[in-house]
Amino acid sequence: MIPEVAVERLFGFRHAFDAPVTLWLTVAILTVMTASGAALFVLNRRNAEQFGEAWLRWKSWVWIAGCILIPILLGAAWTIAAVTLLSLGCYREFTRATGLFREKTISVIVVLGIFVLAFASLDHWERLFFATGPLTVGLITIATIPSDRPKGYIQRVALGVLGFSLFGFSLGYMSNLANDVNYRPILLLMIFAVSLNDVFAYCFGKALGRRKLLPATSPGKTMAGFLGALFSTSLVVAVLGHFVFAGSAVDHIGHLIFLGVLISALGQLGDLVISSIKRDVGVKDIGVVIPGHGGLLDRFDSLVLVPPAVFHYLSLVLGPLGGDQPVRIFSSMAQWTIGN
Amino acid sequence: MDDWELKPAKDLNLPPHERHKYILREAGLLEGILRTVWWSVIRMSLRVYHRIEVHGRENLPKTPPYIIVANHSSHLDALSIGSALPLSFGNKTFPLAAGDLFFENPAAAAFSAWALNALPVWRRRAGRQCLADLRQRLLEEQCIYILFPEGTRSRTGQMAAFREGLGMFVAETDVPVVPCLIEGAHAAWPPHARVPRPKKIRLYVDEPCQFRDATNNRKGWKRVAQTVEEAVRRLSVVHGCEILPPKSAKNAES
Repeated sequence: MIPEVAVERLFGFRHAFDAPVTLWLTVAILTVMTASGAALFVLNRRNAEQFGEAWLRWKSWVWIAGCILIPILLGAAWTIAAVTLLSLGCYREFTRATGLFREKTISVIVVLGIFVLAFASLDHWERLFFATGPLTVGLITIATIPSDRPKGYIQRVALGVLGFSLFGFSLGYMSNLANDVNYRPILLLMIFAVSLNDVFAYCFGKALGRRKLLPATSPGKTMAGFLGALFSTSLVVAVLGHFVFAGSAVDHIGHLIFLGVLISALGQLGDLVISSIKRDVGVKDIGVVIPGHGGLLDRFDSLVLVPPAVFHYLSLVLGPLGGDQPVRIFSSMAQWTIGN
Repeated sequence: MDDWELKPAKDLNLPPHERHKYILREAGLLEGILRTVWWSVIRMSLRVYHRIEVHGRENLPKTPPYIIVANHSSHLDALSIGSALPLSFGNKTFPLAAGDLFFENPAAAAFSAWALNALPVWRRRAGRQCLADLRQRLLEEQCIYILFPEGTRSRTGQMAAFREGLGMFVAETDVPVVPCLIEGAHAAWPPHARVPRPKKIRLYVDEPCQFRDATNNRKGWKRVAQTVEEAVRRLSVVHGCEILPPKSAKNAES
């Protein structure tokens, strides 16, 4: 039998707003979406030429917000499913942009790796989750050896490892985070902060930006944008984090500020990682899945590096995340298990 | 297999419907898996429901590129030929299909691209560029085309004259053209029927022809079309099939 507490975490949508921060962030997101939508609707009616693009982007944002909020609120199982789809979608775009999609064997291994990560998260089998990273990398390195094609070996293996590390393993940490009973506010805080970080960088860059940050990699980014986002996001994370982690070891100004710096810096670096990939292969957008935005990677680029850092920082300070939750929920029911 | 190239997909950033219609479309892992499943089901149903027999399979070249050419009187034709090829060639095999029938509607285009791996040939607005792109893809990517040079399905089951377009793919190249004869597909699923009937289908595969010495102009293309048409007609005589009218007759609708 699956323990009741695990069922509640995986599928217990009634607990969606147990943490007040979840409710606050949900209301804040819905309010911002509604207000900006109403404003853009009116502006678009008056001047479709000028505001048509913004209206299109807003409509896409509604879908994006829904696809993030609904699974997180519904339960950990839905969150893990959504993260798995995001991983697969991002990996697909990466392979099509780099040409790795022509190497089917490597993609089969990466996709299997992503599914194993999803199962390990769903099962709350952390040893399997952490083993999947290096073992998948190992498999990628040997997968194309039997085809006896040494030419291009380094490129295809390196791209396979990069693709799995960034979009399978790194994004997969969000699934692993869902094993903590308090996963809703943590994930929402992380995703909200990463999105806000982009907005801060843009606004500070527009207002104060003179010196370019890395003009060859991303001509639009400025030093002022980077520092302004670093400061503002850290502040927002520190304030919201105080409520998310109330009473725990992380609820200390030093930890909260550091968490904010981590999210902001890695968010902007993730953006630069994807920009570097796009510049290297010579494409502007990496897909067309989200109208007005481009591909999944054009929208979720800032999220790519953040989850492992947040997970490990929190577990270093708090102890194992989800340590009070049942482990090996499904696999322990099988007769062949050899113990945890 | 080609050497490694750090090169984005040729159809990167095309919206889905445009991508499905794109001649240089490149398939990924998911499409490959779905296509393998589709072809496995088709093979099974052809074996069980139509008791398909393939004669002369040894005449198929071991490796692409090549073009398989046959008479065309049923939607089962391309499926019958595709099922005679190794499953591992699934992503390299492209039936050339009428654009206005298989690719106008987004749902039909998605099915044609994902399941059949078909590439569109636009009959009324084809243009040389479309055929030139197809020729280039055949030569560069080492793939297999399934082609019906009559230009349309015969409504009576009798074969019409082959069109010159076939010659544009292979003139002055070493790409083999494999003539095939399909018998029974018209009876199994004629154009006016909504569902196939459980009739027997036979596929006869002839030895490949090459056209290195055919000039890449109208005269050479005509020669290619005539040579292959003769080969298919010969197959019908050898195997005693009653699908062919006298050479001058025009039984197919265009």
